[in-house]
Amino acid sequence: MKSRSPYVILKWAIIAVVLAGIVYAAGLFAANGQLILVVVLGLIGLAILAVYATRRAVPMKYLLPGLIFFLAFQIWPAVFTGATSFTNWGDGHSLTKQESIKAITQSSVVEVQGQPRYELSVAVKEGGDVATADPVYILTNPQTKQVYAGTKDGLTELSATDVTRNDLGRVTAAKGYTILNGRQVNARQDLDDFTVPTRGGAAIKKVGLSEAYEGKPTVTYDAGRDRIIDHRPEAQGQPAKVYGPSNATWVNVQNPDDRLAQGWKENVGFANFKNALTNDTLRAGFLKIAGWNFVFAIVSVLSTFLLGLALALLFNDERLKGKKVMRAVLILPYALPGFVTALVWASMFNQQFGLINNLTGLTVDWLGNGIAAKFAILLTNLWLGFPYMFIVCTGALQSIPGDVKEAAAIDGASGFRTVRSITMPLVLVAVGPLLIASFAFNFNNFSLIFLMTEGGPFEGGQSAIGSTDLLITYAYRLAFTSAAPNFGYAAAISIFIFLIVAVASWFGFRQTKALEEVN
Amino acid sequence: MHKRAFGTVSSAAVTCVAALALSACGGGTTPSTSSTQPAGQSSSTTTEAAPAPSESTTAAPVRDANVDLVIWTDNDRAAAVKKYADQFGEEQGIKVQVQVAPDVRANFKDATNAGKGPDVIVGAHDWLGELVQNNAVEPIPMSADVQAQFSPEAMGATKFNGQIYGVPYAVENIGVVRNTALAPDAPKTYEDMVKNGQSLMKAGKAEGVVVQEVGKTGNAYYTYPYLKAFGGGIFAVKDNGDYDPNKVIVNSAGSVKGAQQLALLGKEKILSTNVDGTNADALFDGGKYPYYITGPWAIDKAKKANIKYAISPLPTIAGGQMEPFLGVQMFYVSAKAKNKAYAEEFVLKYVTKKEMQVDLFNIGHRPPALKAAYDEVSASDPDVKAWFEAGKGALPMPNIPAMNAVWGPLGQAGADVISGKAKPQERFDAAQKEIVANIKKG
Repeated sequence: MKSRSPYVILKWAIIAVVLAGIVYAAGLFAANGQLILVVVLGLIGLAILAVYATRRAVPMKYLLPGLIFFLAFQIWPAVFTGATSFTNWGDGHSLTKQESIKAITQSSVVEVQGQPRYELSVAVKEGGDVATADPVYILTNPQTKQVYAGTKDGLTELSATDVTRNDLGRVTAAKGYTILNGRQVNARQDLDDFTVPTRGGAAIKKVGLSEAYEGKPTVTYDAGRDRIIDHRPEAQGQPAKVYGPSNATWVNVQNPDDRLAQGWKENVGFANFKNALTNDTLRAGFLKIAGWNFVFAIVSVLSTFLLGLALALLFNDERLKGKKVMRAVLILPYALPGFVTALVWASMFNQQFGLINNLTGLTVDWLGNGIAAKFAILLTNLWLGFPYMFIVCTGALQSIPGDVKEAAAIDGASGFRTVRSITMPLVLVAVGPLLIASFAFNFNNFSLIFLMTEGGPFEGGQSAIGSTDLLITYAYRLAFTSAAPNFGYAAAISIFIFLIVAVASWFGFRQTKALEEVN
Repeated sequence: MHKRAFGTVSSAAVTCVAALALSACGGGTTPSTSSTQPAGQSSSTTTEAAPAPSESTTAAPVRDANVDLVIWTDNDRAAAVKKYADQFGEEQGIKVQVQVAPDVRANFKDATNAGKGPDVIVGAHDWLGELVQNNAVEPIPMSADVQAQFSPEAMGATKFNGQIYGVPYAVENIGVVRNTALAPDAPKTYEDMVKNGQSLMKAGKAEGVVVQEVGKTGNAYYTYPYLKAFGGGIFAVKDNGDYDPNKVIVNSAGSVKGAQQLALLGKEKILSTNVDGTNADALFDGGKYPYYITGPWAIDKAKKANIKYAISPLPTIAGGQMEPFLGVQMFYVSAKAKNKAYAEEFVLKYVTKKEMQVDLFNIGHRPPALKAAYDEVSASDPDVKAWFEAGKGALPMPNIPAMNAVWGPLGQAGADVISGKAKPQERFDAAQKEIVANIKKG
């Protein structure tokens, strides 16, 4: 074995670079406390070393990159979706319970009426570490010009002779204290929670760098009873409002309609799945929408395939002139961004101002009538989808050897007979799996529906079940346009959709296998 | 649209799930644009001026670890914000970074959750409920005398549960924009508009009377003024000025009266579900419609189309004064800001400056929220004065999370009534039921 060819050096260099990258990324994740990801990265690093640094596992040398990407972009999102479906994660349920308590009580501080805004200089006792020592607020009352030192134990007055002030009245030096500069104040995250207690439960808090106010929290948490108490009504002589935990939100014990905005995330078991199966709107709409969903996907695949195939057959004929130019033109709809095309079609279908009604003299309310809208969607999807089918069919046709067709012609088969019995089976073997993939794609063709109709028109005096809704657009609306967008619920519904598509595709593949056996 | 050439079944199916999971991570309720108008309605008309380049990317900017203060804004405002951020940085001797972020609302929420968010964001007031729900922003204790320097309507919009959550800088609302070549006088009543418009149509000078976005799925933002004209609306208002999510008034007597007016206007073909966000500007800018019910976002295009226009407040309709929703733009401080002291200092000491509010006005041409800045710009700009007058006394668009449950049902109800597919009372009863059920589900 010859030693140290340049390739070996290159190989080790690449391995080193990749490992360095992994170590760097792991460092970032570790700093964020995402330890599971650090472990996963470590395993990936080990796998890379084991596979590429040794002479063993030759097949793995080819498979590993694909496997890693498969894990990262297919398996991980699927696992994440699955895990999310067992939680109530969503707006209003994104915190932990502790965080929600903290957020509620901290955001309830109200300024005490009639108290001044103090000029503030943050300081520490002389000789203390500016980053860690107990903070002292040197406060100047702008009206009386009196100066105080505020600690966690309260206020003490400072003698005016012990401090130096600037023109604005702010203390710039005080005997016995070190004044912090702006950067040092900003760096001390602990000042967010630091207050100087005054009287009656009020305390002085900092705002920004150089201002302080006396505030009082109006909401408190009773840890013993696990209750949040809103004291504000007491000012009007009414009893305080008491909130207890219920369904991961704080709910007024007297009035269940009165909830606090900040709830928390928790595991809800199969509640999302149960909800999806028992939800009245979902049940009512499901069959109707699922039916149209299948019609949409199947008709889209068939119509695009048939048009694409017909055009491919036409352009596969040697007698036709100018094929290259024509093919390029036909592929254009595929080259334009689908988002733009869908919007353009939507405006062409406008009842009053649209091109289609204006040209044909019709007055069809294309996007306002359920049946017309379905037709409009299918037509648009035909326009968007046929070039792809045209490309794959052209490819499949060109791969059919000419002698097969010649043999058919010698046997006396007509042109139609040749296409039906010879060309079609051969083409279907090649494009069958692509048709299934196209079905799976169209089954979840969210963007087309959303851009064209938003699932509408909504008929019969409601806005939940649209005439052109697919399950995916329906799920989106159900999960995200309620009062609290709910990722957990959306994930549960997407798992149902996955099951439907998986089953449908499995049947499809069995059919194509059968097709292959025929040949 | 784009089919997967190599899609095997499992991978295609898994990607669908993945795509949904990713979109979930991307947040996304109503994908709001830079304007406070809900984007569920139509983003094409509400984005201001040039479409932000940000629309091509969805990734949030990455935070630079060596910077002392990070501010997120959309593309339009970035230059003005940067000018004052730099000033602030110089004064404090720190490095301030202004980053242009696409879809600030969703990206901010997610980035903050992951601990990578900015310290300050610039955004619309109706994001507030959602941001509070997720503890992404925190109250800004603004002193009483600073509060008094702002218009009370703007201050009202910054509040949630009685607390102030941001420093406002601009107010926007809809009014009547008229083509002065066709309609020289400001309409006092809707009936005047209809009368004048119809006689113009008879004379062959106009093709329609009023341009107003409706669309097939409706638009609750433009429906509201009709309901409000008769004391109706969406939510009742609590004592502390907040909207009450438990008191939906979509089918109150006043709201239904407004809906009846919509039905009438639909029947007379004044309003149509064929007019939506994609063609409204073009219709008015073609010069064949005398009136356009819209906001400041439509003005740039009208100017470019050389339309001579004037702006006036919404008229009365059947004796009731129509009233728009107010949208307020403001600076929020992140609840998880790494540099909270600098962030608070910046929004309280800089955003409250007249110069900064005037510079921000020069970009968006919305009336400034700071009284002194408004006084300065309104002296020389008749448009801003007209918009301000059109929004006087109006209520802010609800910023409570429950509003999310309203856009769809109320919009569709308005569209169905205008297209004549449903009767006002029944349809608005149904919308009320849907909204209440959605909020309960919360």
